[in-house]
Amino acid sequence: MSPSHDLTRALQAAAETGRPAVDPGADLARARHAMHARARRRVRTGLVGVAAAAVLAVGTVAVLDRSATDPAGVELVAQRFEATPYTFDLTPQGWSVQAQQPWAVTIVPDDGSTSEDPDVFVGKLVIMFDANRPDGRVVDHDGRRFWVSGDSGYTTLATRTRAGEPSGVVRIQYPADAGWDERSMVDFLASVHVGAGAQQGSG
Amino acid sequence: MRDSERSAEFVVFVRAHRADLLRTATLLCAGDDAFAEDVVQTTLTRLYLSWGRVRRADVPLAYARRSITHVFIDEARLAHRRRETTLADPTEALAAEPTVGTTDLVLREIVLGALASLGPRQRAVVVLRHWHDLDVAETARVLGCSTGTVKSQNARALAHLRDVLGATDHQLSLEVS
Repeated sequence: MSPSHDLTRALQAAAETGRPAVDPGADLARARHAMHARARRRVRTGLVGVAAAAVLAVGTVAVLDRSATDPAGVELVAQRFEATPYTFDLTPQGWSVQAQQPWAVTIVPDDGSTSEDPDVFVGKLVIMFDANRPDGRVVDHDGRRFWVSGDSGYTTLATRTRAGEPSGVVRIQYPADAGWDERSMVDFLASVHVGAGAQQGSG
Repeated sequence: MRDSERSAEFVVFVRAHRADLLRTATLLCAGDDAFAEDVVQTTLTRLYLSWGRVRRADVPLAYARRSITHVFIDEARLAHRRRETTLADPTEALAAEPTVGTTDLVLREIVLGALASLGPRQRAVVVLRHWHDLDVAETARVLGCSTGTVKSQNARALAHLRDVLGATDHQLSLEVS
């Protein structure tokens, strides 16, 4: 005869991890680190505002039009970097490539406030390449068309690859609370070059 | 609020409730231990950053459970492209499980396999309604959807769980609400 279970008991059995209790010290250290990183970002935003004119004068693209509710700022500088098979003409200051794969690049803030697991995207900037049809609000910029969509605190920008690049759609997904704004993201996405080794992700 | 005070309260909270949050995350993440641990860590960090709201909550653990659901939904949505390609047919996975073991261990693997075959929001509905015992209205509020959506998602999820478990040597007796 087959055993019969009520749902609560079944969930209870499934929820048991059998793992020993963890010392709260690691959670506290992680949380305090994130709080200090947030404070540093707020200070940096002030410095970016003061230095704006000088930054523009040396040919960088700066993110200046922060709203009062956006405490953090991310600066894009005209410096090329590689995340094979992708190349970027602009570099976000204070952010670094965490993982690069033929179908995606993950970029994280240097302050350690995000997960070390490259498959966890919370708080990160993710560049993806796929064949899905772009949709959302249309923005035209520098002769190219971009689509803006998003919810739950994240925004996704999409654009078609250039002639000569692997055919498809390249996207950037970014968190709303990490100092990015749409204008700088359009600039950043427009700076992405998709190399021959890129593969379209599924989904 | 002083940092030392916040930290002291946080440590007490983590010591008391981390295991509970990890169990919730384990269900939400359908047994993906690394994903569950990451959801817990992210949630605890968010709670620390907004500790004032945790303190003001009528039931801090309930606040934390809502937070962990939001973190899971966010992460699942973000990771969806990659994760959805790795989910296998749960009944295939179960066929490879050893046939010996305690009833609870076998049941655990079966239920986690069945949960893995649900979408993230359906899984969240099951956890909120049947693990956290929230009513339909509260579940809808946590997930930011209508009560009708919660009811339909719940009904579909339970029917699916019943089907998957029915394909094994286990039966799930449950009421669709």
